Amino acid sequence: MYEAVRAHPDGKSTVARFAKRAADYGYEGVVVRNHDGSRADYDPERIQAEYGIDVVAGVEIKADDPQGASGAVGNHRSSDTIVAVHGGTNRLNRFAVEQPKVDVLSHPMRGDGDINHVLVKAAVENGVRLEFDLSGALRESGGHRVRILQSLRKLREIVAHYDAPYVVSAEPTSHLELRAPRELKALGEQLGFSSEFVEDGLAEWGRLAERNRHVHSESFIEPGVERGRYEEDA
Amino acid sequence: MKHLPKHLRPRWRYLAVELETWPDERIGRRSFQRELWYAGQNLLGDPGSADADLSVVRYDFADGRGEAIVKVRRGETDPARAALACLDEVDGAPVGVAVRGISGTIRAAEENYLRRRGQDSEERNVVFGNEERVAVRRDSVGDVRLDEAFVGATDLDYDLA
Repeated sequence: MYEAVRAHPDGKSTVARFAKRAADYGYEGVVVRNHDGSRADYDPERIQAEYGIDVVAGVEIKADDPQGASGAVGNHRSSDTIVAVHGGTNRLNRFAVEQPKVDVLSHPMRGDGDINHVLVKAAVENGVRLEFDLSGALRESGGHRVRILQSLRKLREIVAHYDAPYVVSAEPTSHLELRAPRELKALGEQLGFSSEFVEDGLAEWGRLAERNRHVHSESFIEPGVERGRYEEDA
Repeated sequence: MKHLPKHLRPRWRYLAVELETWPDERIGRRSFQRELWYAGQNLLGDPGSADADLSVVRYDFADGRGEAIVKVRRGETDPARAALACLDEVDGAPVGVAVRGISGTIRAAEENYLRRRGQDSEERNVVFGNEERVAVRRDSVGDVRLDEAFVGATDLDYDLA
């Protein structure tokens, strides 16, 4: 299972601190999902060697409009393993699900954002993962939290109906906000998610990272065509 | 009142919980208990939190880290875990919470899962992001004091001055 974190300077802890704590909590990896304006400075190999946890380079593209987001997706696609789009407005949600180069649409229901069957079908077609953002359930309170839980339920019902790809994250911005997978599963059960659903959503980050690393690797040419070992002509 | 016969007494489970916050914050037992009950009530509702109980029976906090034992009715440990996960601030101090284990007795919970406190913290001058800073450091992790807030870091992120 993987967790997608916001590290310093986007958050309040460094990637190494997140990685150490996540390894302690039983995660297999962390995805660094800083916004494109505030990238983290870290050495994934060194962190991996020290704490025994996979560190995935990611980016969350925050743009005011689809044009800006489109340019940023193109810029980051080749350098980052996971490219997410900061959702939360209908225009950007729409842009993200229609763009096969995008891996994840982050917190689509935040702010004024909404999701409907058209967007979810587009996400299925383009393989864009919709994110279930548990941060509101963990860290908000009162009426605001009630709205967030309503939106999570709505998203869950549509995603389940179309069997759409999804990821789950608590979006921690410091090592103090990180929660262990068992805690997230227990929370999910209270919110009506099965614990397998949450586990699957956390594991999806890892599968996504593995797939994209394979696609980025030199042996990969196009789907079905790879550079391998061949017998030499006699 | 005469105490209940054994077969009618509730069965308890004890959650061994680890707490952490930034070095300049303190979390008192009463505030922790209050916030925990609020978290339980907000997430589980009145019936759910009554079932879970969530009383803090042991509490120890010093030097930015703490340990607590939370009493929960047997069979309600998952809702209790969820309520604990939703605890994110106590008296304005951000708090990290992790359930280290669950036992049937307080003693077993303490002996098996707690009392792992590492070194005492020390203040060290470090170079973080090309600037000299003060870090509160222990067990190869350190919280670096910036102008207004702390940044959680580890020994990989700074050079000890």
